[in-house]
Order: sequence, then structure tokens, then C-alpha cells
Amino acid sequence: MTPARLDATFAALADPTRRAILARLAKGDASVMELAEPFAMSQPAISKHLKVLERAGLISRGRDAQRRPCRLEARPLRDINLWIERYREFWEASFDALDDVLEELKQQAAAPRRKKEKS
Amino acid sequence: MSKLKVLSGAPNEIVMERVFDAPRSLVIKAMTTPELIKRWLGGVRTTVLTAEVDYRVGGSYRYVFRTHDGYQFQFTGVYREVSDERVVHTEKMDDNPGEAVVTTRLTEANGKTTLHMVMAFDTDEVRDMVFGTGMADGAGESYDKLDELLAQS
Repeated sequence: MTPARLDATFAALADPTRRAILARLAKGDASVMELAEPFAMSQPAISKHLKVLERAGLISRGRDAQRRPCRLEARPLRDINLWIERYREFWEASFDALDDVLEELKQQAAAPRRKKEKS
Repeated sequence: MSKLKVLSGAPNEIVMERVFDAPRSLVIKAMTTPELIKRWLGGVRTTVLTAEVDYRVGGSYRYVFRTHDGYQFQFTGVYREVSDERVVHTEKMDDNPGEAVVTTRLTEANGKTTLHMVMAFDTDEVRDMVFGTGMADGAGESYDKLDELLAQS
């Protein structure tokens, strides 16, 4: 995935209608007409959204000139997931180490109290 | 199973939640004291070489890391909001043009603290995180593409 493609993916995902279109396509391929129906939008309006999704590599269009069914392309979403995964790993490792530091701080906070109890 | 929960947010956001078995005051202490930060941030395979923290509104911080395989990078940023319940700070990796805005909420109940962290990235930041540094050459082209897309939608 090129940097430009990633920008395009994020720009495409920023729109709720386009996310809904992707959610619909996750269930199976669909034509423009089939996609326009549930969104109460004109076919040209849906076509505009599809063009954005296609440029972002999020969907592909079939060759059939009449129907040109849309298909979800998983690759860009996978790339974003990979990036999120790297971030998650950084914080997971950090927080696991933080658990140990907090345990020590708790013991330090409890220590003086214990001393008092003894005397 | 992982203790860290990654929740869904806006497409440019990462939302995480984690419960710590310690009161909030200790969590804040561990997150803002340089000697303590050095012991946990990045985990066991990443060394914090430098931790400078000026924990107040308008104050800045700087962390320099080295991973176990020798890769060095730094996070810098400014605290925009500082309170026990909510901390907002910016985060910039190395000299990348983009920065993230990180909003941390800390809630204490029964001696445990729930940390809820939202990292909102701008597109520059996302690109840098995904592709690392040295991608400046492609930046102009990608801005053009983005403008094109935004104009169409």
C-alpha cells in the first residue's frame, strides 16, 4: 500500500454512508441499484461514493457492463489493522510492565503503615 | 487473554481500555515520574533512554526509546489538560509532520483504576506510523490525491 493509498483509505472511511456501503458489501457483492435502495439515495449519489471507495482500493467493480457488481477488497483494511496491531503491542507491553511498577508502589505505600502497627 | 481492550472509534482513532489493580494516585505517579516511566513505558523489550516530563498545562515531555534491535525513536508532546480524571496531550513521533491528540480518562473504583485512552491521529501521523520516516518525497503527491478525494465526496 502506498502512502497516497492509505490517505485515500482514511478519507474514504471517514464518511458514514461509505462505511455502511462497505458493511453491506461485507455480506456479498451488490449492484449500484441494490446499494442505492436501503440508503434512500439516488444512483448517481451512490456512484459518487463508490468511485471514492474504488480509488481507495476498498472495492472493485465487476466487468459486466450492465450490472458492474461491487465487491469488497480486504487489503487496505488489513493494512490499517496491521498498523493498529503494532500500536496495540506497544501499549500492551507497556501496561504489563506498569502492573509490576504499580505493585511495587502499592507495597511501598503500605510499608510505613505496617511499621506503625508493629510499634 | 489480553488485559488490554481495543475498542472501535472513528477511523483515525485508536481507543484502548485497561484496568490497573492500584488507586488512581499511584497510576498518575507512575505515568508522570521520569524514573518510573523509564521502568515501564515501551515494555521490557524497549529501553527508555531519556524521560523528561513537565506535568502541567502547557508543559512538554520527551521520551527517547531504543528497541531491543537497536532502533531509536522519540515521542514529544505538550500537555493541554491536566487533572486527576482527564489528561489531554499531543504526541509526535520523531520529526514527523503529524501529531496525535491523546485523551486519557482515569476512573477509580474499589481501589482499581480504569484507564480509557483515545488516540486521534491526523493523516500525516498515520502515514508516518505506517511507513516510518523518510517518506517526505511521497507527501506532496498524497496531499494532491487527498484533496482530489475530498473535493469529490
